[in-house]
Amino acid sequence: MLNNFELLQKKAKEIRKQVFKMIVNAHASHIASSFSCIELLVYLYEKVLRINPKNPFALNRDRFILSKGWAVSSLYAILANKGFFAKSLLRTYCQNGSKFIGAATKNGISGVEASTGSAGHGIGIGVGLALAAKIKKKKYRIFVLTGDGECDTGSTWEAMLTAAHHKLDNLVVIVDYNKWQAFGKTNDVLNLEPFSKKWQAFNWSTKEINGHNFTDIHKALSKIPFEKNKPSAIIAHTIKGKGLSIIEDKNEWHYKTPTEKEIKIAQKELFS
Amino acid sequence: MRTVFAKTLKKLMKKNKDVIVITADMGYSVLEEIQKEFPKRIINTGITEQNSISLATGLALSGFKVFLYAQAVFITMRCFEQVRLDIAYNQVDVKLIGPTAGLSLNQLGVSHFATNDIALMRTLPTMTILSPGDPYEAEWAVNTAYKTKGPVYLRLTNKGSEPIHQHKLSLPLGKSIKIKNGKDASLFVTGGLLKQAVKLFSYLGKKGINISLFSIPTIKPLDCKTILNEAKKTGNIYSLEEHDITGGLGSSIAEILAESNIKANFLRFGIPNHFLSVTGSLDYLLSEECSLSCEKMSQIIISRFKG
Repeated sequence: MLNNFELLQKKAKEIRKQVFKMIVNAHASHIASSFSCIELLVYLYEKVLRINPKNPFALNRDRFILSKGWAVSSLYAILANKGFFAKSLLRTYCQNGSKFIGAATKNGISGVEASTGSAGHGIGIGVGLALAAKIKKKKYRIFVLTGDGECDTGSTWEAMLTAAHHKLDNLVVIVDYNKWQAFGKTNDVLNLEPFSKKWQAFNWSTKEINGHNFTDIHKALSKIPFEKNKPSAIIAHTIKGKGLSIIEDKNEWHYKTPTEKEIKIAQKELFS
Repeated sequence: MRTVFAKTLKKLMKKNKDVIVITADMGYSVLEEIQKEFPKRIINTGITEQNSISLATGLALSGFKVFLYAQAVFITMRCFEQVRLDIAYNQVDVKLIGPTAGLSLNQLGVSHFATNDIALMRTLPTMTILSPGDPYEAEWAVNTAYKTKGPVYLRLTNKGSEPIHQHKLSLPLGKSIKIKNGKDASLFVTGGLLKQAVKLFSYLGKKGINISLFSIPTIKPLDCKTILNEAKKTGNIYSLEEHDITGGLGSSIAEILAESNIKANFLRFGIPNHFLSVTGSLDYLLSEECSLSCEKMSQIIISRFKG
C-alpha cells in the first residue's frame, strides 16, 4: 500500500505542476482553491470512481460533481491525465475561444457532469442524481466536492436536509475545508463550527480527515456508505494553496497570478 | 387551468414512466390525483426552491423529464440564479410550472404577485415560455412543454378558467392564434386576460372600431412574423397581459417593432410598474388599480384614433 500511496503522491505533484502551468499561462485566478483539493481529486479519480474515459456516458458510471467549480483547473488536469481528452487541450485553459472555461462547464467537455461555479449548487445537483439512482434502482454512487465558504449558502443546508430525508446513502459529499473564503477566514466571516456536528445533526454520517494525507483519504473512502440509509460527509481539513510555500494559507491567492519572480520560486519547488 | 394541467400531466405520466413531478410544497387540491395514482413519482421537496431546482437538474441529468411545480412568484424569483445556471445553462429537460401567476393571489399582495416572472425568464437563453389563456390552451401548453426538449417555463394565471376556444388545439410552438378579425387595430394578449380581450373586441365593435385579436400562448419564441404583418396591415398594435408592462409580452413586441422598418402605433396594457399598495378582488385590482377594464382600455384606444 505504501508504494501505492507514493504513486498517488507523484500523481498529485504532476497535477500541481500542470495546474500551475495552466494558471500562469492564462493569467488566471483561483490557484490556491485548486491546489487545496488535488489529493482528494487524485484519490477519487485513481481509486474510487467507477468511470471509463472511453465510455464517459456509461449508464452505470459513478458521478462526480465539482461544486467548487472555480477549482476546475485541477479537474481538467486530472481528466486529461485519465484520458478523457488530449492533454494538449489544457494549454487552451481560459484562452480566447476555448471551451475550457475557468468555472466547470459541461458542454462538450468529456468527463464534466454538470456546469457549476456558483456557490451552493453542487450538493443539490448531487441530491437529484442520487435520488434518480435510488428511483431507478441503480448501484452507482454520487460524489460531490464542495468548498467550505459555499457552505454559507442556504441552498447547501436545504440540500443537506433533503439528502438525509431521502436516506441517500449513495451520496458522498467531501468538504474541502481550507478555512478561507473570498474575503476572509471562514470562521471570522461566518463561523461553520461545530461543523461536523452540524452535518450529524442533519442526519449525515461524517468523518474528519486530513485532506492531503492519502492514508486518511483511503481510510475514509474505503467503505461507502459510512452508515446504511444515511448520506456520507467527509470534512477534509486542507490548506489553501497546499504544495507551494509562497501561496500556502494566503488568501490573496484566491485572485492573484504569480509574478515572474514568484514563478521562478515556484518552478524550483514544483519542478525540482 | 390548474386542473387541466394536472389532468394532462397525469395522462403523460401514464404514457411515459420517466415523467416525474417535484413540488416545492404546493399543489393542494391540484396534485392529489397524481399523488394517488403515482405516489412514487411525485416528490414534495418542501419549501426549498433553490435546492429543488438543483435537485430537478440532477434528476434530469439522469434521464427523467421533470415537471417542477411551485407558485410562479417563488419558482422564478427566489431561485432565479439556480434556474439560470443549473437548468438553462445545462439545458436540462426541466419544466417549471408556475401557477397563480400575475395578481392571482389578489388578497395577499405584492409578496405573492408574480408580475416580473416573464421578464426574468425571457432573458435566459435556451428557455421556452408558455402562457395559456384558457383550458384548451393550457392542455396544449402542457403537451407542448412535454414535447419540447430542454427548459420550459409554463405560466398559469387563475384567470382563464372559462373556455374561449371551442376545441382541442393543434398548434406548433411559437405560433399565435387568431381569435377575431378586424382592420382598425391589432391586439395581442397572453394568459388569462384572453376573455377580457374578447370582451374588449365586442366593446370596441359597438363603438365602430374593429380590431384583430390574437392569443399568444408562446411568449418565447414569439410569433414575430404575425406581429409584423399586423403592424403593416392595421398600423395600430396593442398588447395586454397580467404582468408588469416592463419586460413582458408588451416589451417583447416593442423590441420587434422598434427594430423593424414598419411604422406603427403601439401601446402596452398590463400591470403598471409600481407596487400596488392596496388589496381587493382580482377584478377590482385589474380594472381599477391597473386600468384594465373595457371602459378604460377602450377610452384610451378611441382617443388615440381621434388624435
